[in-house]
Parts: sequence; structure tokens; C-alpha cells
Amino acid sequence: MTARQNAGETRETAVRQDSDIAIVATAQLPAVRRQELTETEMLLMVVDEALDKVGLKRSDIGFSCQGSCDYISGGTFSFVPNLDAMGAWPPIHESHVEMDGAWAMYEAWVRLKHGDIDIAVAMGSGKSSTGDPAAMYPLELDPYYLAPLGLDPVSLAALQARQLIESGKTTERELAEIAARSRRDAAGNPNQQVRGAEQDVDKLLAEGYLRNPLRKSDLPPISDGACAVVLVRGPRAAELTERPAWITGLDHRSEVHNPALRDLTDSASTRIAGQRAGGVAGVEVAELMAPFTAQEVILRQSLGLAEDVVINPSGGALTGNPLMATGLVRIAAAADQILINGRSRTLGHATSGPALQQNLVCVLEGDTGAEGDPAAKGDNR
Amino acid sequence: MTVSTQTVSTIQFPYKRTLGPVMGRFFSELTARRIVGIRSGERVIVPPMEYDPETGNELAHDFVEVGPAGTVRSWTWVAEPIESHPLDRPFAFVLVRLDGADTDLVHVLDAGSEDAVHTGMRVAPRWRDEPVGRIDDIVCFVPGEHADSPEGEPGEAQDVTTMEYFSKITYTDVLSPTLVRYANNLRAGRLTGQRCPQCNRVFLGRGYCSVDAILLGPELDEVLPDRGVVSNYTIITPTPYPGQKETEPFARASVVLEGDEMVIAQQQILDIPVSEIRVGMRVRAEWMPDAERDAAEITSKGWGTVAGFIKGWRHTGEPDEPAEQYMNRVF
Repeated sequence: MTARQNAGETRETAVRQDSDIAIVATAQLPAVRRQELTETEMLLMVVDEALDKVGLKRSDIGFSCQGSCDYISGGTFSFVPNLDAMGAWPPIHESHVEMDGAWAMYEAWVRLKHGDIDIAVAMGSGKSSTGDPAAMYPLELDPYYLAPLGLDPVSLAALQARQLIESGKTTERELAEIAARSRRDAAGNPNQQVRGAEQDVDKLLAEGYLRNPLRKSDLPPISDGACAVVLVRGPRAAELTERPAWITGLDHRSEVHNPALRDLTDSASTRIAGQRAGGVAGVEVAELMAPFTAQEVILRQSLGLAEDVVINPSGGALTGNPLMATGLVRIAAAADQILINGRSRTLGHATSGPALQQNLVCVLEGDTGAEGDPAAKGDNR
Repeated sequence: MTVSTQTVSTIQFPYKRTLGPVMGRFFSELTARRIVGIRSGERVIVPPMEYDPETGNELAHDFVEVGPAGTVRSWTWVAEPIESHPLDRPFAFVLVRLDGADTDLVHVLDAGSEDAVHTGMRVAPRWRDEPVGRIDDIVCFVPGEHADSPEGEPGEAQDVTTMEYFSKITYTDVLSPTLVRYANNLRAGRLTGQRCPQCNRVFLGRGYCSVDAILLGPELDEVLPDRGVVSNYTIITPTPYPGQKETEPFARASVVLEGDEMVIAQQQILDIPVSEIRVGMRVRAEWMPDAERDAAEITSKGWGTVAGFIKGWRHTGEPDEPAEQYMNRVF
């Protein structure tokens, strides 16, 4: 059965309530190996671009929330200057999460639920280029049992990938196919960093291991970047854009912090978050934050996505991984599938912590217009 | 001469963490070459946790000795170890299911070559000569059923209550075009900023208006006076901590540049006792000698600093400005 049949061929558009919240605009800087602009300058640019798309000014914003990481930036309170991207006077209402911008969006969504403001902006920004992720990331692990071992993120991903392969849930060929598909899609997306890399599955499989069983093509690049989304509550959303991407479900769940105590071939937190966000029936496109190929398989299986769901048409985290923005970029890409490409139901996912510890699922829907199925207007991506 | 566009800095932090009764027991047992897990329902969790990872319920302190041998459940090969890795020769990261345990332990395996490693192989610990109660008291695992132990019997378990961990990260910060211009001007003895076309305030060392959130390009550059007025200050009595070089009470002052609202914070006032510093005092920058000017403190984080170019500020001898004019300037 296809995704559309699952959802019922004649899915009816839900009546939008004043309390419903939509993404009306998104913006991102292209992921690059090294961005010379400061994080504040990057954020100024993406906020300007996102607001311009819907004709809003900063003075229209009721709340903003940023996601960034001092460990990546390399300075205590380095997130404070980032606030200048929203302006400082008159006083603004803002917050910050030491997490991917997807969780900043979650906080902005909760804030809008209060009902006293209509417009919020969520942002994510990070410059991984300044440090060595292999040396830095052990510091986010359990400080007693894991950090002293210097367990780097690629080695951990390799331990996870091997269990997935040896449990029969995937093959090295499938992982290479995921890499090849991501690179093909990235070639058409100027926001992605890895464009024009090898796309032939057999040639990828002929390359040596970087961390057995992972090859370089199974890994994300090291990227700098930033992303912003504008969230609007109630009827105002439809005034600002023709086809808002309504957030019909948003949930995040976390698992035990020590990855060795989990079944690494499954993602219970993703499954629960997906169910709580309304499930995947009818989802046409899923943007999954899978910085390693094997993690895409785990996420797809945990969510129960049908075979015909288009995965990561943006090129995904495998071809552009601006940490602290990567997850929000996935949600922005899923929203753009509705805002721009006319899709009806899409899913954005973000992950945080080692080996898919914490997962966020956002389900988005577009209204069906009077001219019939708006998905027909979209391209095939 | 232009400044380097890169600054390299290393942040080091010596942690000393308390371990609590559960991890403390695990690390204490390691000093006697024993590995313990904790019972959680039907399962034995290794390394032990204070709570059931499934339910979050606190676990009774029911410890169970496991291993020391176990079975590899997953592995990957590290051909080129880096400084933060525990071994300096090629090794495998492994998930080990110790005999008697129901969860896996992350550790490293010294197997000589990648070909010697496979899932299902049997491994046992190589113990450190003089254990200290850290996870790396197990130096690594080695192939086989038998632990690789130093000569002689282990002593009684030590009572390990804390763990030291030294973290170190090196950053390479590449300056933005705005900051490169800013630093080059500082090297030439010029303090520069950009004036916001909307609010007419001038901003130093950042390239945008902090009030109106507008990018300010090089066309808005202007040279600012290196004179100003102390708008605020604090006197700090130093307490010793790693990196603290001061031993006597010292002052840090905010200086508002003359004719503008731009405040440079955290400045030294030179050549007068800290007790004589006051709000409203007129000061002039004391620049570092040409040869000593250094852009190492200029980074892409923060709001622009003059550190490395301006040593401090000296009282001009002119009459003070009225202090009340500066009372609402915190920074």
C-alpha cells in the first residue's frame, strides 16, 4: 500500500483553529566547510531573509529562540552576542537552548501555544570548523565511563552500523545506496556542501573503510551554517503566505545517555515521538537527520515509513551538517515541501546526543486548495 | 603589515567529579581488579547506573561481580589514533558483553591488526600496573579468556570517591572580514567602528548594529577617538584559580568613547590607585608599542575587544564629566 492510500485517497483538510501554528517562511545559509562570517552575522542574514519572505519586521516578533553550542563556538556565553541578530532595543523576549535549532523551534512552538503572541522566530547556528569534532565530542558523553576513552562520534557510529548490519537490518550496499542517493539529491541543492562527489554505488563500495564498516561516504562533512524559521499562530499564518506548513504534531523523546545500554539498532524515542506527533500515515516526504547512513535505516524503520516515502530530497545531513542547525534545516526542508512544492503531508526529524539518543519529530500539513490536490503542482522531489 | 586572520586558542579545564555510591563502588572495585555491575530486575547492568535505564527508578545497591572475560558484540578499527584516544597504536573500539552482564561495556581492544578482530571473539582486560579508580584502570581488552595482570595479587579495594578528568580543546578561529579590518586598524593605532544609519550609534568590532540588528558594511567605517570617560568600574579581589595572574585587588572599568555611546568594557585604568577610580573620569588610551601589538585576543565571538592593542587608559588630568550622565550605562 502506498503512503497516499494509507492516508485515504480523499484526505480532508482539517479545519484550522486559532490555536494552530504554522511555519510560514524558512531561510538557511549554504553549509560550507569554513564560514568566515561570525555566528551573529550568519543569524542576521537568515533572519532577514526569512522575515523578508513574508514581509515581517523584527518588531512584529513576539518571541525568538536560538539553538547553539558554546563547546562548538569555543567560548563561554558565546551565544549571548548571537542575540544581536534580533536587536536589543526595545527589550525583546527571547530564549536559548544549548541544542539544535529544532529544539529552539519546539520552545517557540510551546511559547506560541500560550496564545498571547502570534509570531515567533526559531534559529540554529554553528561553526564546527573551529574545532576538531573527534576531540570535542567525547566531552558530550558520559564523563565517567566514556569521555576518558575518547570515543569519537565516527567510531560510535561505526559500532552502531556494525550491529545494524550483523543483525540483518541493513547491508553495506544499502548504506552505499543511501550515500549515493543523498549525493545525487545534493547536486541539485545549492545549500548542500557535498555536491558532485562520487555517486556510483559499486565505486563507493570499492573504497576502503574509514572506520570499518563505515566508509567516508557514510559520514557527514564538517560544516558551518545557520537556519531560521518563522512560526505563526492562527489565521495570521494564512494572511502571510499562500500555503502555510501547519505543524500538526511535534514531539521529542530521550533515551538513556550511555549508548551501550541501548539497543543501537532501534530508536524507541523516534518511534514514540513519531506516534505522539500524529504518526506517519500519508507522509509523502521525510527529512530525517541522519548524519550517518546507517542511522537513516534505523530512523526509517523506527518510524515505519512506507517504501514510497521520499527520504531527504534536500540531500540530508550526509551532504551538509552544520551542527546546531542541521535538525532545524531538516524541518525547514520539510516545511518548504509544503510552502513551495505543494506537498500535503511531510515530516521533519532532528536528533541530539550520541547515537540517536534524543529525537524530535515534526509533522507538517498543507491545506488542500479549491483547485484540487495541490501536490499535483509540486515536482517529484 | 597586516594581522593574521586566524587565532588559535586552547581551552583547558581540570575537572574533579564526585562519583556517588554506585559509580564510586564500580571504580573502587577496579582498584582491586574486579568489575561489578548492578542488578536491575532480572538484568545486570554494566557499567552500573544509579537508576533503571528503562523506568528511571532508583536501583538498590545490589552489586554483582561480572567478567573479567567477555564477548565482543560490535567493533570498529581505528587505524590512526588521535591524542584523545587511549592507545597510541592502531586499536579497536569494542562493545563487550562481560560474562554475567546483560548490557555492553564500551572499551578498547588491543588486537594488533584489524584482521584479528571479529564479533563474537572472546576478550579479557589488561589491568593497569597501579590502579587509580578510573575506567582506564582497564588499559584495554586483549584477545583470549584470561586477564593480563601485573605481577602479584591486587591489594584491597581503595575507597574511590572522586575522579579527575582533564579536558582540552583547541580552536582555530578565522576572523570575519569586518574583524580583519578592525584588527588591521588597531595595529595601525586606529580605533574604528561603523555608524548605524538607523540609530546613528557607532559600533566597534562587530559589523552590525546591536540595537537595530542591521549589518554594517565597510562603507560605514569611521575612525573613533581613543579618548573617553569612565562610565562604570568594579574592584576585584582575586581568588586563586587556574589561570588567575592577579594577586592584589584590581579594577576593571567601562570606558565610553568621547562623543559617542560605544562602551569598551573590562579596561584597566593605569597609574592610579584603584580607590581613586571614579565614574566621570576622563581618560585616554595607552597603546601598546608597535612591536607588541597582537591580534590573538580578537575572535569572532563577542563584541570586539581592544586587548593586545590598548594596554589601558590613563587619566587626562582634565576635570571630570558629571557622574550622573553615566549612571545608566552598565556596560
